[in-house]
Amino acid sequence: MHPIAEFFDGAAEIQAEIAQRDLDTTDHTAETARVIARHHPNRLTLTVSEVVVETATTKTFRVGNGDPLPPFLAGQYVNVFTDGTSRPFAISSSPARLDHYDLTVRRVRGGRISNQLIDALAAGDTITTTGPMGTFHHNPLFHGEDVVFLAGGSGVAPAMSMIRDIVDNDLERRFHLIYGSRDEQDVIFGSELDALAAELPNLTVDHVIAEPSATWSGRTGFLTAALIEELTGPLNGRMVYVCGPQALYPYALEQLTVLGHPRRRIRFEANGAPARPEAQPHWPADVDPAGEVTVTVKGRSFRTPRNRPLLDALEDQGVQPEAACRSGECSLCRVRVLRGQVHTAEEAKLRMSDAKFGYTHSCVAYPLTDTEVDF
Amino acid sequence: MSDFDAIVIGAGNAGLTAAATLQRGGKRTLLVERHNVPGGCATSFRRGRFEFEVALHQLSGIGTEEQKRITLRGLFGKLGITDKLEFVEEHDLYRSVVPGVLDVTLPADWDGAVDALEAAFPGNRVRVQKFFDLVKQTTYWQMAAMRGTPAEQVDAVVFRQGLRPTQDVLDEHFDDQRIKLVLGSYWSYLGQPPSVLRFQDMAMLLFAYLEFKPWHLRGGSQAMSTAILDSFLEAGGQVRFNTAVTRILTRNGAVCGVRLDDGEEVSAGAVVSNASTPLTYGMLDPDVVPHSVRRDIGSRRIGISAFVLHMGLDATPAELGFNASTSFVFADMDDDRTFQAMRTLDPVRGICVSSYDIEPIGFAPTGASHVSLMTLQYADAWDKVAPEDYARTKFAYAETLIDLLEKMTPGVRDAIEEVDVATPLTMMRYLGHPGGAIYGFDQDATESWQFRNSEREPGVTGLYLAGSWAGYGGFQPTLEAGARVARRILRFTAA
Ligand SMILES: Cc1cc2nc3c(=O)[nH]c(=O)nc-3n(C[C@H](O)[C@H](O)[C@H](O)COP(=O)(O)OP(=O)(O)OC[C@H]3O[C@@H](n4cnc5c(N)ncnc54)[C@H](O)[C@@H]3O)c2cc1C
Ligand code: FES
Repeated sequence: MHPIAEFFDGAAEIQAEIAQRDLDTTDHTAETARVIARHHPNRLTLTVSEVVVETATTKTFRVGNGDPLPPFLAGQYVNVFTDGTSRPFAISSSPARLDHYDLTVRRVRGGRISNQLIDALAAGDTITTTGPMGTFHHNPLFHGEDVVFLAGGSGVAPAMSMIRDIVDNDLERRFHLIYGSRDEQDVIFGSELDALAAELPNLTVDHVIAEPSATWSGRTGFLTAALIEELTGPLNGRMVYVCGPQALYPYALEQLTVLGHPRRRIRFEANGAPARPEAQPHWPADVDPAGEVTVTVKGRSFRTPRNRPLLDALEDQGVQPEAACRSGECSLCRVRVLRGQVHTAEEAKLRMSDAKFGYTHSCVAYPLTDTEVDF
Repeated sequence: MSDFDAIVIGAGNAGLTAAATLQRGGKRTLLVERHNVPGGCATSFRRGRFEFEVALHQLSGIGTEEQKRITLRGLFGKLGITDKLEFVEEHDLYRSVVPGVLDVTLPADWDGAVDALEAAFPGNRVRVQKFFDLVKQTTYWQMAAMRGTPAEQVDAVVFRQGLRPTQDVLDEHFDDQRIKLVLGSYWSYLGQPPSVLRFQDMAMLLFAYLEFKPWHLRGGSQAMSTAILDSFLEAGGQVRFNTAVTRILTRNGAVCGVRLDDGEEVSAGAVVSNASTPLTYGMLDPDVVPHSVRRDIGSRRIGISAFVLHMGLDATPAELGFNASTSFVFADMDDDRTFQAMRTLDPVRGICVSSYDIEPIGFAPTGASHVSLMTLQYADAWDKVAPEDYARTKFAYAETLIDLLEKMTPGVRDAIEEVDVATPLTMMRYLGHPGGAIYGFDQDATESWQFRNSEREPGVTGLYLAGSWAGYGGFQPTLEAGARVARRILRFTAA
């Protein structure tokens, strides 16, 4: 007790209350760890229980750890750590079934990790992931109960989870999936989607095939404004989700804008670092994207091409900053630029104070000159 | 020789000012933070076109340039960051609303507030003046008493009034329930209703904001956290993000270092913990924690957390009908019932609404605005929700905050462009504190400075505690606490 406390009216009563209180014997360290691990673990160690071949280029890996997994919102992803790097994958399974997550992986031409997973990951193998992350999910506070999803290729994975959510949780939500694929063989979850659409009055699934075979009788071509409107009718401010290859995004935005759809009613899933950062208007005109520069981190220096994201360049050297979205959004890969000039891609969702103090998101930042970073 | 002179666990407000003060005072300091950005509560994050302020509603203790000897300006000056911060002054204290009953906005100055209350509730001018006078006297003498002024030199007003419930003091001054509700509105920041909250705490808060004004920062509290970190790094300090301390190591009963979550051990003769008190002592060998400390902690209760809706709205504050940066909206006049509801998931009964673009902090694009809705809430109710029901429960509860907001500013729901929801479990995740507590232990009468002093008496040689768990919570107190604890280490080791 403070020496002056005794002069205060009421101090004796308060002092007495403290003296007679039961001691709190809770192990707060264990309790806090338990709650955090249940909802937001830093890392999950998951074992593959089953591998489903979806198409010639796509497999679904069912993973779990024997316990109920942390809850997630349909549309969220986990980042998978492997081989000194990591890749985010949407959970395609139902949020109502927490004994497993399904990760649906499609081969990316020339891609290192997607091919490795498809070629090598087998039942019984173990992977390390983040907990579920991301903001690409239905938010009942403002998305409404009548929504549209434009998917391309493996972009159907989060849509599948959203649809399974509607089925398993008996939601009233109306869901219209417009799913573009290159050819019929490329369609993922085709039979399940068609079966559910036949069964559920609130679910509509339209396939659009870019290079159809002679026997295809459905829609063909791209997801043009005219086609979207024909399939969905007037959008009337319905929330539109977009997930698919990078090229789909500007295209979808353009088509939806033609329809007069407001930007704030379109939600794009994070989509990796830009393939061609030099195509962005703020890439300096006379700087060769393939040219090499020297990057220094924690006393080590190495050469790397300008158009390789700093995060990847660091990982190449065995230096692994924390990461999750690898798309500029989550900020986990934030680094400080101590020296040199860096191109921070438009995808980076920097905080206002980052620019002022020289921070960037390394997954979408490119060294234009010799550069030193720290994290 | 030790790896470092000092290690600071946690880069919250207090951890940051402690680390920067130590390093600038010549101590080789390592700062360790679990999260990937500095700030603890004092952070922000991005959604869509918006940046969202996590915790700062109104920064107290900035004051004017002339007041800088006794304000945070002085501390920021010592850390060399004054010119890196852009302060944004708010001109209103707050707007208090009980739908259908009252709607009063108090300007942030003593005379203006008297006028506004007289205009809203005629015939109360003299009473309000008397009340404010008591607020000033109590605060002034409380400061003197805390700082060790001998009792006989302290005006007895603080001895008579300091530990009284705020409600008693309000009842004594006013008859009209409405004016009491308006003047007591700040209880929603502290998390104890006026019937419990000691008058010395309410007086201090009113004094802090009326005398020194409420402020914010361009770039939000994250800009301040980043600037303090910058001051630390510039002075040669080392920081590790995404790293947790798991053990505090001792030799012969004295602190000698820490173990990190990757197993690495780092040595230092002083460890400052900005982590929660229960978890800090949990990181020590039980044998070195004195019985008196364990008893003290055991008699304290885990404090309140918060539920926050961060909103990006596609309209300006004026278009939406926000006219004050800070508003308190209560379902009715019953503060005790409103407080009881904070232990449950029943529809919210009181919210704090911050409109960050009345005096813009820069987080919303032109034509849009960033608003947050907050209610304090205990984590227990959330811990009982089954994980598979968590999201549904969270959104359903969030709806009740928007419902209450709509009573003050109808139409907001239709302007929503982005929303993110943080529950007490979210706070727990980002802070690592039991109960997701944002002010440390429960701030009831037993937590008054008269009875607790873990900042000064941590009980283990070489261990120091700084932050909301070891003293007052809130921005100004924790920023000051870190610097104070660091100065003590500097003095102690210089001697
Ligand atoms: C939503 C919300 C609204 C608030 N509103 C206000 C307001 O309007 N006004 C006001 O004054 N106050 C407000 N507060 C409270 C105020 O922000 C806090 O009381 C204050 O910031 C606490 O500071 P602190 O120094 O105690 O550190 P904290 O912010 O509690 O940070 C502790 C840090 O320690 C880190 N840490 C913990 N354990 C470890 C470990 N083992 N190893 C490494 N790092 C660790 C944590 O990650 C965290 O960064 C609010 C808080 C919240 C969340
Ligand atoms: S990993 Fe998410 S922003 Fe870089």
